[in-house]
Amino acid sequence: MIVDPFRPPAAFRLLLHAAAGEGHLDLVAGDLHEEFVYLCERLGRGAGSRWYAAQVLRSIPQLLRLRIRSGELTYLLSAMASSAVPLLLLDRFWRFVYSQIPLKDGLDRAAGFLAADVAAVCLAAAISGAMAGSRRRAAMLSMAAAAGAGIGLWASVGSAPIFYAVAVLLAAPAGSVVGFAKWRGK
Amino acid sequence: MAKGDALGEFEYLVLLAVLRLQNDAYGMRVRREIAERTRRDVTIGAVYATLDRLEEKGLVAGTLSEPTAERGGRAKRSFRLTGAGITAVNRARRESESMLDGLRFPLPGGAR
Repeated sequence: MIVDPFRPPAAFRLLLHAAAGEGHLDLVAGDLHEEFVYLCERLGRGAGSRWYAAQVLRSIPQLLRLRIRSGELTYLLSAMASSAVPLLLLDRFWRFVYSQIPLKDGLDRAAGFLAADVAAVCLAAAISGAMAGSRRRAAMLSMAAAAGAGIGLWASVGSAPIFYAVAVLLAAPAGSVVGFAKWRGK
Repeated sequence: MAKGDALGEFEYLVLLAVLRLQNDAYGMRVRREIAERTRRDVTIGAVYATLDRLEEKGLVAGTLSEPTAERGGRAKRSFRLTGAGITAVNRARRESESMLDGLRFPLPGGAR
């Protein structure tokens, strides 16, 4: 096992992981690590850490721009939409269905309708998760799916019981992860 | 030459650094080469953003190598100039020389 005597500051490594896109993370992290070790050996660990932190902080705008150019943002937005759109469409549909039943308009939706919402979100998130090419992207897509589900809940017209909201918020990321695990690359 | 084909100043510096480093032109070496020669504080993000743009323009091509322990088990991507990249550097040099022709430096009244 290789023991690395020099490890860059953990907080800035995490920041780099958050900012850099999939295509560039390994390259940038490897380059910074190499230079960090070189500086630690020449100038000491403190100087190396300061240099590393400054490089990460000042590189964030360019790394984010690279991410957008590589199309990662499109993936995230489609993962969000894949959870939010079915929720919103079903919400409108259930409202229409209830409006057709005399004396039912405005009442809470039945458990069966809510379960159908959860299943639809789960399925849509699974399809979006299946398109992730790596675990890192799958993790990002599952977070985006949860965010999309949150937006869908917030924008829904009908009132939502708390257990339903929790189920939807859990179903979206879970569906995404399951979709990735079962059908990735297919 | 279309407007988008012209090299930016930093793009020109990155191409020259890749040319200088030959087989060892990867992100950090390019960054260090420019920083040491121009005394600029260059970030690795700026270098990769520029290399990405140059690759898209077809001026450089990258090759991925095996991960190494000194890079914390990560791979590196080495770049080389393509034929279009060499043409672009030659053109940029000609243009620069043509603009400098006849001027005397340092310019009077300015810092060195």
